[in-house]
Amino acid sequence: MNFLKKVLVAFAWLTVVFAALFSYVSLAQATELQDKQAELTSVPKSAAGEYLKPRSLASIPEGEFGDKVRLGYKLFVDTQQLKDKQVGNELNCSNCHMNAGQQANASPLWAAYFAYPAYRKKNDKVNSYEERLQGCFTYSMNGIAPGKGSPELVALSAYSYWLGMSGLMDKYQVAGAVPELSDEELVKGGKRADFPVPEVIKQALTVEQRAKLPGKGFPSIDKPKLAYSPERGKVVYGAHCQTCHGDNGQGVEMKGVDSLPPLWGENSFNWGAGMHRVNTAAYFIYENMPFAKGFQLSNQEAWDVAAYINYHQRPQDPRFKGDVQGLKDKYHKHQGYYGEEVSGSVLGSEKSKEN
Amino acid sequence: MPASAQLCAGCHGLQGQGIDPVGPRLAGLSAEYIQQQIKLFQTGQRQNPTMGPMAMTVQGEAIEQVSKYFSSQDVADVSTHVRGEKVSYDDPTERLVYQGDWERIIPACVTCHGPSGIGGGQFPRLAGQQANYLKAQLLAWQTGSRKGDIDGIMGDIAAKLTASEIDALSQYFSTLE
Repeated sequence: MNFLKKVLVAFAWLTVVFAALFSYVSLAQATELQDKQAELTSVPKSAAGEYLKPRSLASIPEGEFGDKVRLGYKLFVDTQQLKDKQVGNELNCSNCHMNAGQQANASPLWAAYFAYPAYRKKNDKVNSYEERLQGCFTYSMNGIAPGKGSPELVALSAYSYWLGMSGLMDKYQVAGAVPELSDEELVKGGKRADFPVPEVIKQALTVEQRAKLPGKGFPSIDKPKLAYSPERGKVVYGAHCQTCHGDNGQGVEMKGVDSLPPLWGENSFNWGAGMHRVNTAAYFIYENMPFAKGFQLSNQEAWDVAAYINYHQRPQDPRFKGDVQGLKDKYHKHQGYYGEEVSGSVLGSEKSKEN
Repeated sequence: MPASAQLCAGCHGLQGQGIDPVGPRLAGLSAEYIQQQIKLFQTGQRQNPTMGPMAMTVQGEAIEQVSKYFSSQDVADVSTHVRGEKVSYDDPTERLVYQGDWERIIPACVTCHGPSGIGGGQFPRLAGQQANYLKAQLLAWQTGSRKGDIDGIMGDIAAKLTASEIDALSQYFSTLE
């Protein structure tokens, strides 16, 4: 990147930061939980050969930095070790982020890491990577997010960074170990002009390109021909999903270990999680379900079953202040069922889970 | 023991402990799994020269009785090893069990079969099952003489396994304690 370009990128970046800093936020708003589970932007699907391939976990280096990366992996595949603390349901990160967050088109960590910090119009704020992770704990895990700079957020950031950077280094033939970063750098995320990246990679990809790596998020699918229908979805669920996820969406527990994830009810993600949106769930399902198969369902079936899954009670939205309709108007103007009445009870009228 | 289970005990043992190589262990399998398998034998989705006719002898309420009886029998406890206890595995068999091989879209066995392959619901326990039975089943999935999995998920996974992986996995699970 030439000097002028560098200056321009730095200037653009500063503008964003200052815009965020100087945006007027009332005290009441500042203490509110921010909506950190904005709709994921998906990038078009591309040929499999283009996806980053992280290095083998066996090559994570010995030492303090490597230990953080390893802890990130462990927390990611066994998030239940944080149960009743930072986690308030029976999910593990790897339930939705397949292959321990390494699977393209299943919101891989190696792509997510380079997409933050991200400016969000919705809360007029720049979200760092650790803030996005906090959102995962608050909403997807229905828990109490670990604090900024906490060992958990550092570890998950380190794991994400290591996957992404090792994949990039291999792709652009940069030899050697993944450069070690301080905790402070790790938790910010990689979408910044000042993020340390080997020169070869810097030349090959702009910051913006890095933020949109092929395989990021869940690839979007076409709108369904017929309006999605929970009633039709129920039939799809019975035929394809029930064996693993239970006749009442409760998942399967084996010897006290939450093996197969609950999809609704008190032990699943709450009303603030991205997956409660019918479209997000449909994208995920079409691509990744049935487990390890994907693409078994038609476009219509994926939408219908996504609607069925999200047409049930689940833990309350953490932003709830006693007024379902008010929250619905503020945060739920999208494809979902929060605040809708289903067989006599209003979805979202369940109490918040105390944990 | 319900009368309807007496015939089963001839090959599977009085407590469903299994008699190698005639009949696999039933103790430790869930009642709903055993029920489902009896039905699959009856409909020919699972094909086995012995079990085909044998399954036909169990009808009506007896299906549930037999399933409940064998699933409630004692079985050795297995120390559970959960995903995430280790980050990398030197042994390729263990790696398949706990991490899978996603390059080939083979998920970790423990994702569905539970920690240490303990099983539950429609997923059979693998831990402590006879090695030659496990091997025969993986091969049956491959050839299509065993079906009845939802969306062909298990058949699909088995089809991707090499002969030596099948040997190693069968051995691994049979010796888990």
